[in-house]
Amino acid sequence: MDWMIQTWQQLPVILQLAVKIGLILGPLILSVAYYTYLERKVIAYMHVRVGPNRVGPKGLLQPIADVVKLMFKEMIQPTKSDHYLFFIAPVLALAPALAAWAVIPFSDSLVLADIDASLLYVLALTSMGVYGVIVAGWASNSKYAFLGAMRAAAQIVAYEIAMGFALVGVLMAAGSLNLSAIVQAQSGGIHQWYFIPLLPLFVVYLISGVAETNRAPFDVAEGESEIVAGFHVDYSGMGFALFFLAEYANMLLISALTVLMFLGGWNPPLEIPPFVWVPGLFWFLGKLCIVAFLFLWFRATFPRYRYDQIMRLGWKVFIPITLIWIGVIGFVRVFTPYGEIFR
Amino acid sequence: MLANYLPILLFLIVSIGLGFTLLVAGKLLSPSKPSAQKNSPYECGFEAFEDARMKFDVRYYLVAILFILFDLEIAFLFPWAIVLDDIGVFGFLAMVVFLLVLVVGFIYEWMRGALEWE
Amino acid sequence: MTLLSVVFYVLAAVLVGSSAMVISVRNPVKAALFLVLCFFSAACIWITLEAEFLAITLVLVYVGAVMVLFLFVVMMLDIDIVQMREGFTRYLPVGAVIAGIMMVEIALVVLSGRFELDNVARPAGQPADYSNTRELGLLLYTDYVLAFEVAGLILLVAIVAAIALTLRRRPETLYQKPSMQVQVKKSDRLRVVDVPSGTRQGDVE
Repeated sequence: MDWMIQTWQQLPVILQLAVKIGLILGPLILSVAYYTYLERKVIAYMHVRVGPNRVGPKGLLQPIADVVKLMFKEMIQPTKSDHYLFFIAPVLALAPALAAWAVIPFSDSLVLADIDASLLYVLALTSMGVYGVIVAGWASNSKYAFLGAMRAAAQIVAYEIAMGFALVGVLMAAGSLNLSAIVQAQSGGIHQWYFIPLLPLFVVYLISGVAETNRAPFDVAEGESEIVAGFHVDYSGMGFALFFLAEYANMLLISALTVLMFLGGWNPPLEIPPFVWVPGLFWFLGKLCIVAFLFLWFRATFPRYRYDQIMRLGWKVFIPITLIWIGVIGFVRVFTPYGEIFR
Repeated sequence: MLANYLPILLFLIVSIGLGFTLLVAGKLLSPSKPSAQKNSPYECGFEAFEDARMKFDVRYYLVAILFILFDLEIAFLFPWAIVLDDIGVFGFLAMVVFLLVLVVGFIYEWMRGALEWE
Repeated sequence: MTLLSVVFYVLAAVLVGSSAMVISVRNPVKAALFLVLCFFSAACIWITLEAEFLAITLVLVYVGAVMVLFLFVVMMLDIDIVQMREGFTRYLPVGAVIAGIMMVEIALVVLSGRFELDNVARPAGQPADYSNTRELGLLLYTDYVLAFEVAGLILLVAIVAAIALTLRRRPETLYQKPSMQVQVKKSDRLRVVDVPSGTRQGDVE
């Protein structure tokens, strides 16, 4: 064991970092693949169907088969499309969705880049995800793709505002932009987790997260009954696979952020044995699974929103709610002795 | 502080590289038999009469402009939120005034119907 | 040469190269995308100067918001490139004069010796737990509160101007009023008519 640690420390820093990045990206991509499997299974059982059950036991090898299929599938490049932009659009969608994971703290010691403004970094990168959608829709030179991209862009920007205001509440409570510090501020048991004092912001954040990732019931950007598949209608093979990967990586990212900011991150619900015996990483991943499950549940349960309803919810309901709650937190903190409630 | 950004730089490079690698791998491994029909845009089967990039409702610009303004507002709120304890009543009231001005703007756009979507 | 200077030169090269592309590329959408790359590399250079908050806010506001608007505009405005190039020779003298004046101005400022490395030192390296954002917040809402409130007013003017310039309500479009939909009662829509047995449909009323 000792010699392993010693050789590890003698490796160049760049190599150490490369290994760590691989340790984050590898499991991430694997979980994205199995998240798609889980989605099909969960929705199938909610519809009283069986879901994928042919490839491997219980269909467990289905995601692998999908990847292989997409890998060997012809990548169609429409004649009228803009060739360069059509090629890089999937990368523009995927790269921010993956790079945001660089600052996610998986437990109190497991974090790759512990920068001070990590929350801001994640927000900046997720705001760049919209380029993949816009560029894809424009480069395809197809009406469905263009309509889908415009819908998606207007929707993403509307909900980003609500999301940003919800985050301001969390920052006020934690007093730091650092994700690890935000989690540490929630230690001490479930009553310290921010979803209780910041309940309106928690709900707004979760719903905005669903809308940001263009998931049902906010999936008018794809809206298969109106515009076929929206912005990625002309993509096939690996190009389509990258958009798919980006969407699911974003869903997992939103789940992870929800857990870190509102559900206590790696903290156990009660600071007593046997809860404290379980390592923090497992608490984090367990909570992440629960939130990620909600995305699937929503999709199986809710009918799709109409576009004007989506815009109304984002601008006229969420922004006032978050603004009022920020005002309430600030007022209580500054002018009353009960400021500890929001901490 | 800069040392903390090295992993981020690497992570960015790796994720962009991964995206391109997967795309190129897909391109190399998959068959490529283009035909005029296959490469036509996915629409109704007819040759499209006009360019797909059409003029759009001005409403989308308005949404984008309002988004920029509110995004700036959030950028101002972030540092304020984390120093709230240190700047005391004065800093709090400074932000209240700032937000009140913008709430006036928000109410104005609401009343004018800029947030309606038909 | 340290790793930092390598990173700086790469970023600077990308920045200069993509700025050249912004003005030379034909397609306005591609020009806008190169401008995005410019902002992104500029933000990375700011990070090497330890201006963490400003750098990430640059990405958040300019890349995440302003450039989205730019893209909306250039994508949806059907810009006729042929027509625009016709005016090229006509506007060339005016453009050249303006460009010349700007070059002279920039040269005057840069060559004034005020920006030599001796005058402007590299920012001192900060420990990892140093919070750039906190320092900024401590100053912005106390010492610079007036500028902060003026920024708020400017944003208000921008909201009003944007609405005045772009909002065109067409009277013929139909709206739904969700509050009225929610408030509707059974008695507004439904009337139960008691029909005695033995009568035909038309007899009541």
